[in-house]
Amino acid sequence: MFEDIPVEVGLVHEGERIRKEDMRVELGGPKVSEKFELVLVKKPDEITDGKISVIGPDLADLEEGKSYPFGILVEVSGEKLEDDLEGVFERRIHEYLNYIQGVMHLNQRYDLWMRVGKKSFAKGLNSFHQIGSALISLYRSELPIIEKIQITFFTGGEEFHSTYNLARERYETRDARARGLLDEEVDTFYGCALCQSFAPSHICVITPQRYANCGAISWFDGRAAARMDPEGPIFPIAKGEYLDSEHGEYSGVNEHATKRSMGEVNRVWLYSAFGYPHTSCGCFEAIAFYIPEVEGFGIVHRRFAGPTVNGLPFSTLADSTAGGRQVEGFHGISLEYMRSVKFLQADGGWNAIVWMPAEIKELLDGIIPENVARAIATEQDALDIDTLTSFLTAHHHPVVSKWILPEDTEEETSPDYGTPGPVMSIGELPLMAGGVKIILKNAKIYAERIIIQPADNNKKKQGGKNV
Amino acid sequence: MNRKSIHIRLSEAKSSAGSVKDLDIQIGKIKGEQWDEKEGPTPFPDHAALRTWDRTLLSRYKPLYLPFCDLCCLCTYGKCDLSGGKRGACGIGMEAQQSRIVLLAACIGAATHISHGRHLVDHLLEKMERRTLIDVGGSNVDVEAPMIRLVCGMKPKTLGDLETVLDYLESQMTELLAAAHTGQESDPLDFESKVFHAGMLDHVGLEVADIAQISAFDLPKAEPDAPLVDLGLGTINAEKPVILVIGHNVPPAIDIIKYSREHDLSGKIEVTGICCTAIDLTRFDPSAKIVGPISWQLRYIRSGVPDLIVVDEQCVRADLLIEAGNIQAPLIATSSKNCAGLVDRTDDNPDDIVADLISGTVPGVLILDPLKVGEVAVRTALASHETRKTKKTSSIPTAEELIEFAKRCGGCMECTRACPNETPLPDAMKQAATGDLSPLADIYDTCIGCGRCDDVCNKEIPIHSSLVAAAREKVLDEKYSVRAGRGAIQDIEIREVGGPIVLGEIPGVVAFVGCANFPNGASEVAEMAREFAKRRYIAVASGCSAMAIGMYRNEDGQTPYEEFHGRFDAGGIVNVGSCVSNAHIAGAAIKIASIFAKRNLRGNYEEIADYVYNRVGAVGVAWGAMSQKAAAIAAGFWRLGIPVIVGPHGAKYRRMLLGRKDHDEDWYVFDSRTGEKVQVGPVPEHLFVTAETKEEAMVLIAKLCTRPNDTSRGRSMKLTHYIDLYKRLYGIMPDDIHLFIRSPADIPITMKEELLPILQEKGLQDRIIPDPTLLKSQIRKQKGGSS
Repeated sequence: MFEDIPVEVGLVHEGERIRKEDMRVELGGPKVSEKFELVLVKKPDEITDGKISVIGPDLADLEEGKSYPFGILVEVSGEKLEDDLEGVFERRIHEYLNYIQGVMHLNQRYDLWMRVGKKSFAKGLNSFHQIGSALISLYRSELPIIEKIQITFFTGGEEFHSTYNLARERYETRDARARGLLDEEVDTFYGCALCQSFAPSHICVITPQRYANCGAISWFDGRAAARMDPEGPIFPIAKGEYLDSEHGEYSGVNEHATKRSMGEVNRVWLYSAFGYPHTSCGCFEAIAFYIPEVEGFGIVHRRFAGPTVNGLPFSTLADSTAGGRQVEGFHGISLEYMRSVKFLQADGGWNAIVWMPAEIKELLDGIIPENVARAIATEQDALDIDTLTSFLTAHHHPVVSKWILPEDTEEETSPDYGTPGPVMSIGELPLMAGGVKIILKNAKIYAERIIIQPADNNKKKQGGKNV
Repeated sequence: MNRKSIHIRLSEAKSSAGSVKDLDIQIGKIKGEQWDEKEGPTPFPDHAALRTWDRTLLSRYKPLYLPFCDLCCLCTYGKCDLSGGKRGACGIGMEAQQSRIVLLAACIGAATHISHGRHLVDHLLEKMERRTLIDVGGSNVDVEAPMIRLVCGMKPKTLGDLETVLDYLESQMTELLAAAHTGQESDPLDFESKVFHAGMLDHVGLEVADIAQISAFDLPKAEPDAPLVDLGLGTINAEKPVILVIGHNVPPAIDIIKYSREHDLSGKIEVTGICCTAIDLTRFDPSAKIVGPISWQLRYIRSGVPDLIVVDEQCVRADLLIEAGNIQAPLIATSSKNCAGLVDRTDDNPDDIVADLISGTVPGVLILDPLKVGEVAVRTALASHETRKTKKTSSIPTAEELIEFAKRCGGCMECTRACPNETPLPDAMKQAATGDLSPLADIYDTCIGCGRCDDVCNKEIPIHSSLVAAAREKVLDEKYSVRAGRGAIQDIEIREVGGPIVLGEIPGVVAFVGCANFPNGASEVAEMAREFAKRRYIAVASGCSAMAIGMYRNEDGQTPYEEFHGRFDAGGIVNVGSCVSNAHIAGAAIKIASIFAKRNLRGNYEEIADYVYNRVGAVGVAWGAMSQKAAAIAAGFWRLGIPVIVGPHGAKYRRMLLGRKDHDEDWYVFDSRTGEKVQVGPVPEHLFVTAETKEEAMVLIAKLCTRPNDTSRGRSMKLTHYIDLYKRLYGIMPDDIHLFIRSPADIPITMKEELLPILQEKGLQDRIIPDPTLLKSQIRKQKGGSS
């Protein structure tokens, strides 16, 4: 399979790092301004299958210890291929190159940074043709839907610049499409059953505007995966009838949920944390948690170590959220979903968010509508509900307008722990014993079982250990 | 809040509401916690409560007996020869007898940890409030005591709550020990099931001990970046007074540190340790130093460096008083479990004790009060350091003396026969006699420090000391580091790795645990841990194995703890701490069930073990397992369904628990979605297995990380490592690979061309990946709604 390359190709080399002193050459990386890697889906007649070209000097001719401009262009064709899969295929370049012994690949796209190690070079790894051949084998092996493939490496020349510019353009068009694609525009969502291996009742639905909770799988990834492996753990869901555009309820999603959950989950509202929220697995990146006192949501992400505004840390909130259940007001989400205009749409979207760690607030700068952004507190502004309330009031947060004092207070409900009623309930009982006065106030004594015996019937033996 | 034995008595009480006379309230137990988790079927289980689960596992992994001894010598009927199918005078057969001895070993092992926990909790409750809160990781740990929650069905909040747990453990241990009496249990599998029970109790005991000490002594609380601490003989400054602590129970050692801090002696004395007390001490004070694993006892003491030796309990050599005497160092015993024949001076004036120890009036003393040990040890070490300057304190021969000793060797081979690792000592002696010490120095690397060679030599050559003498430069160069034991794994860390595990980016979790009876020296553990960390597994370590990993430097001069991070994440080497910290390893597996699937832990052992067994790709490696404690720890992992690999000496645990990959019918699970029985292949193939070499162990590690729930991507990653390691060792493709490939998607992409022909020949299958369980009770029912 890898006859053309004189070094090993395997997963075991994935974590390999090549330090400066061990490297033969550096391709791309921070020292050069122009570098790229690009996958393009082409028509079959535009591709010579298996062709590997090198434009500019080949690996052997590059001077030791230097950094070079670098580009990789992978062109593919196949009956089932479409432009939307380009980005997914492109990320394989990183993975595959790292399988090659003595090749280190970091980052992606226009940040590409690659090193070839001295040892592997000495073993004979001295041509991009060898690397190209390994790449082609790997693409074919993993992605049989690719019918034809050709690869071009660039280390200089006129064509390098023109292809670089083409790559930049392509990245932008692709990003614009990814960001702009609406749930309404597609007829298929994707379901992912990977997490079910640990959270069997979790029902994951991935839409263009709702990234998987783990943050690892976009709708595009889902589409690619489902095409590449139709029997695999990621599969299409025909979204069916749009039942409720506010909450994001689709008949196809409901049917899917019923089937996968064996009837546990029968309705899903994709854009809400209430009613029938999307279930939360275990590896969601963040949680939207409802804070009833201010009628808004706090957000906390996994890496936030301290307590949140309601006093509970991520770990405790996550415990209330996780496990593949629909829990109202505790909603597992990905960070990416917060960039979506559908983000908690039914619950007020950003207007309902009242607190979040400064780190993600910064990360989402420009995403959060400006008028709300300054009114959302972070851990620097509030770490308890009272302070939060004042902060929200002072900053005229949209939720404040909802705080109309209710005329009659709602019936108070206390959590039901299945505790039985008290066996004894005493308003105030002062007791005198041995000169000491003990007052029991509002004492309630609960017992699982009470046995009352006459005192003289107690024949417990003296001594021994009371266990 | 959990309390036992409450007694309230009121002779007369009057109030407006009425009066009470001679009211006597006795309450056996108060359960006060408001824990809304539903209680499972087996809170505080006895052995029989989980017997069905045990037998389910044991029907797959039947014991393969390796009798270490054909005789039973436990009662006066005996000795009974049980070989060749004979039964003993009591009627017991060979298989049951082997399992019975294993049960005894597991009980001894579990008893040490449970009594260790009891001692710690009693000691701490004397000094601290009962209500001292248990805190193992602040806000990053929500499930503070997964073992206790799972087994006991309670959520301990305070130190006082741990007493209830200990009561349970002690009563269960008594029952198990009773079962080993002559003429009780007769069935080998019931003995094995009791071994599992002892193992489970052991893990609860471990957890009690470690969460108590973490909370009370403020040891690192689930810290991935715990400090690096010094390890190795070469890191010790012998110019200062040196105290050596040995054992597993840290309070006396902590009081030594506290006393020296209070008297402004920190930095002026060296506090050094061997074994788990050393690990736990560096968790308390990172400036303390770890000499090495248990096998470093003789070599370090004979070097003459320690001015005073303090021993507590477990894995302490039984001849330390003699060895200490040989280097003129006084010894303080501190545990009722190890009194060493010394006079109990607990109630004496420290001035008198110090005087007696310095003058040599007594070789050592027994002091059962850690606080007093702190004072006496520090004061004695200071004085002993001065007086020992004028005495011959090292029993390691000089190079010249060594050559003279070597010349005495007649090559009788007694030493090699006595050596557990059969080292070629006579050859090395022959070379040494000519002045070439290098072969002897090489043997030092594989020596486990038992000293049996010394005793059998009929020429009275101090063989062990000779090895140390030959390796003098190596010994002085033992300058390493280990990351201080971090304690628990954070809930958050477990959440972080959920995705990567599902997506196959983390192929498994490998725990390197246990003692130092290594077949080829400590470095093999480091090599294995590095190999798997490099392969992006999560490597976890504890006890002597955690130290062994630290005794290694890569080509850049880094120890593995410097080379790899300490997070519970791909490519980490995570030192949880001492032997009792092993609870956190099992705890992490249990927490996965609670964190990802929201399974209730409370008194719900069987369901959780089934979850862990079928889903969590974790393997334990006890490369130098020696003790009964190691037996108990391993048994605790088995009952949870986590396979354990031991080194060649592990065969002396009398039986392996091996699966039969050639028996297709053994490898069915229920698909909990449909209730159908699904063949999933031999995953994991064994529950307890020995490996001859580290290479063989590594192949097994990769293989035993497979589980029925593996996603295709996960399975293909696991198999990539299995095949790669297998080929490295044997040079060929494993002959059982087809058993692990359920569908084409499981085939590792870099090996497709090579594998396809093999699989096609064997019949490439397309089996479904079930939602696996061994329990009928876990088969899900279709709920209402249209399906």
